[in-house]
Order: sequence, then structure tokens, then C-alpha cells
Amino acid sequence: MKRVAALLFIAALAVLLLYVVSRMPPMGDPETPTATHVIPRYLEKAEEETHTVNVITGVILNYRGYDTMGEVTVIFCALAAVLAVLGRERRGVIHGFVDRSEVPSSTIVRTMVRFIVPFIILFSVYTILHGETSPGGGFQGGAIIGGSMIIFTTIFGLYESSRRIPLKVRAPLEGAAVMGFFLVGTLGLVGGGNFLTYAWPRVAQDLHPSLVVWLTVLVEVGIGLGGAMVLTSILFAMIREEEEIATVS
Amino acid sequence: MGTALNLVLILLLLTTAVLAVTARDLLAAVIIFSVYSLIMALMWQRLQAPDLALTEAAVGAGVTTVLFVIAIFKTRRREEE
Repeated sequence: MKRVAALLFIAALAVLLLYVVSRMPPMGDPETPTATHVIPRYLEKAEEETHTVNVITGVILNYRGYDTMGEVTVIFCALAAVLAVLGRERRGVIHGFVDRSEVPSSTIVRTMVRFIVPFIILFSVYTILHGETSPGGGFQGGAIIGGSMIIFTTIFGLYESSRRIPLKVRAPLEGAAVMGFFLVGTLGLVGGGNFLTYAWPRVAQDLHPSLVVWLTVLVEVGIGLGGAMVLTSILFAMIREEEEIATVS
Repeated sequence: MGTALNLVLILLLLTTAVLAVTARDLLAAVIIFSVYSLIMALMWQRLQAPDLALTEAAVGAGVTTVLFVIAIFKTRRREEE
């Protein structure tokens, strides 16, 4: 009986959703409400107003900077929740990752990972710094750094990777995304503009575009570093074992 | 050509979504879910959203998969009856 009711409910939901999809305007239709209000403004004025070639970055960091600041804060809160439940490794003590799998990672895998991780990090730096001219940006680059740390940690263990990014490096950088937003936003206020507009009315007009680009890049770097550190800390908190393997002085 | 590719991607997406939900082996479910994210990334690219495609590939297929695998590694692999 319960199954039949559930199936009926799902069928009704599917019919409703398919009906809505069939009534949606076709993709790329110039007559839809979304394409007639803000999008023309973004497409026509974004490069001139935000000085970012990639319109998406201009929208995310400039027009909707408040939204992105909120999202970054949510990610930071996720880390806080994970650490509240799982706890952080203690300062100065390196917790080991006890490899319980039957097959230890082979020399080929270790050599390949050692070879390829620097290139992944290089690609993430490119993704972060080119966020305003090409697809990508701080969050994507940060996630790629987090991914490279995951690869490294699963092959070499928590001992090796937390020796390379110790807690005293990670802890201050975890808030880099939120801090970057607040710093740049407040800089805008100091310069005489509004919060997070990157606009400094008192600065000479020919200097202004490059200043806006630099401030945008600063926020991107903050998001990238903060995101990478948050992901790494979540990974370390999840993977750490209770028993201590070694103590560093 | 483009429509055929879209159709194949949508069929694969539906298949992986159903398989990920019905798999009893949680590790298999996680791997299928990462394949789902990868196909989703391809679809974002087809929909001309390269920024989202990058995010989906890095976060969906990469980071969350490993976090799920660690969670399984710390608990139990089989779903209980």
C-alpha cells in the first residue's frame, strides 16, 4: 500500500514537472522575461562597468557580490560544522592515516602522483588568476587544489600531507575567502564608493580599470585559497585516526 | 550530430542516476554517482556554461566522491537489509 502511494506520488510529480518543462520557453528565446530584463544590461555593459572580459565573473563578483559573499560564508560554516562534529587534529601532533587496505599503493602510482600533483596545482593557479578573462575562477581553482590534496593524501597518507600543509598554515587561510570579500568591500568604502562595487570615484579615470581588475583578482585569490584550505581541512578531519603516529616538536 | 549526442548524454544521465540509487554496494553507488557528475559536467559544457562544467567536474566528480569514499571506509560498505 505504501509502495503504491509512493509510486502514485512520484508519477504525479513527474507529470507535473514534465508539463512545466513543456511550457518553458525554448532555450535562447529572446522574448523570455530573463532575456529581456537584466541579461541585456549584463551583456552590453559588463565589460565596461566591471572591466572583466568573462561576463560571468563580472556578474558573480561585482553585480551579485553580496550573493557570492553569502555563499563563501556558507562554505566556511560547513567547515565549522564538520570540525564541530569530527574535531581537529591537535597542534603539533600529526595523526596518522592507518592504511587498512590490502593493496598498498605501488611505486608506479607514487611516482605518477609525485609527478602530476605540481601540474594540477599549476593548472589551478591558472584557473584562479584567469577567472576574469576565461572560464573558471576562485572557487573552481580552489576545488582543483583541494582535489590535488586529496590525491596526494590518499596515496602518501595524512602524515606526509599534513607535514606539507600544517595546521598553523591552514587555520589562518581558511577564512581567506570571507576576509578577502570584507577587505575589498571595505577598501571600496574607503575609496569613496559603495561596499563591493570595486569603484573608486576619487581615483584618476585612466588608473581606474586596472584597479578594478586588481581588486577582482584579489577577491578571486582569496576565494581560491580559502576554498582550497577549507576542503583540505574537511578532508583531514574526516581521514584522521584517533591514535597518534608521531609527535613533532 | 548535436541532438544525437545530447540524447546519448541524457540517456546515460538517467541510467547512472537510477543505478546510483538502486545499487546495494555503497562503494559502487558512489563511483556511479561520480560518473553521473562527469556526464553532468559534459552537459553543462553542451549548454554553454563552462564555469559550471569546471565546478561540477572538480567538486562533483572529484572532491565529493572522495569524501563519500572516506565516509564508507570509516563505516560499512554494504547497505543493511
